Amino acid sequence: MRPAPAEPEAALVGRAQDGDRAAFEELVRRHADHLYAVVLRFVADRDAAEEVTQEAFLRAWRSIGRFEGRSRFFTWLYRIGINEAKRRAARQPPAAVVSLDDEPIPEAPDWSQEPETRLRHNDLRRLLENAVRALPIEYRTPLILRDVEGLTTQEAAEVMDLGEAAFKSRLHRARLAVRRALDEYFLEAEE
Amino acid sequence: MIRRVLANRRYMREHRWAHGHLSEYVDEELRAADVTRVEAHVGICPHCGRVLATLRRTLDELRWLREEPALGVADSVIDRLRHEP
Repeated sequence: MRPAPAEPEAALVGRAQDGDRAAFEELVRRHADHLYAVVLRFVADRDAAEEVTQEAFLRAWRSIGRFEGRSRFFTWLYRIGINEAKRRAARQPPAAVVSLDDEPIPEAPDWSQEPETRLRHNDLRRLLENAVRALPIEYRTPLILRDVEGLTTQEAAEVMDLGEAAFKSRLHRARLAVRRALDEYFLEAEE
Repeated sequence: MIRRVLANRRYMREHRWAHGHLSEYVDEELRAADVTRVEAHVGICPHCGRVLATLRRTLDELRWLREEPALGVADSVIDRLRHEP
């Protein structure tokens, strides 16, 4: 016997807005993992990410009556989660970040040859993680949403409450900064 | 002389424009005419050609940063929700 089809999200949201806690819990089951993965990029560790995820859903539950359905539920939820993560990050000691404003167009090294080391190597992963973390939050967010979590440009711009042009501009700068951070790794791999 | 100066100015204008649109090009979010414009410049600009190639590789790598689903997060959220008044 095939399982019953999942209830459409809009129906769950409607029921949750009428105070149906079970419907909201189903929304939690559908989105908690993804939201956790996103906020993990903005806070210090997994415990903090779990707390922020809990707090974001609590806020969403308290304010779901004000959700007007103009955006998709998950973009609204991600916005709450990211704002919550930013609030928490603001209370932490500042980490070293790079400024991406008004950067000149850099000269790129030649990476045309395949490095001998496989790119999935732990060193590269660490390098990538550090490069992403070093981005200021307003640049890290588009990169995480679009390139790590795989949202479309439109969805990610909606989460950030930005127009598409502004979103694309930030995304491009963030990508170039991360690309530049890989220079050394690839140059070493080619030697 | 004037022709060379104008050609150089045009090249730099196209360089700035193409460099600024490489992400949209990779994401296939450019109009057909702009795709042609990027490709025309990248075809003659080694710098933009390298940036484009390495940008693609960077994006491939970024996808691997995606976290595996964190089992139990939904349960902990629901547990906390149930303790809310």
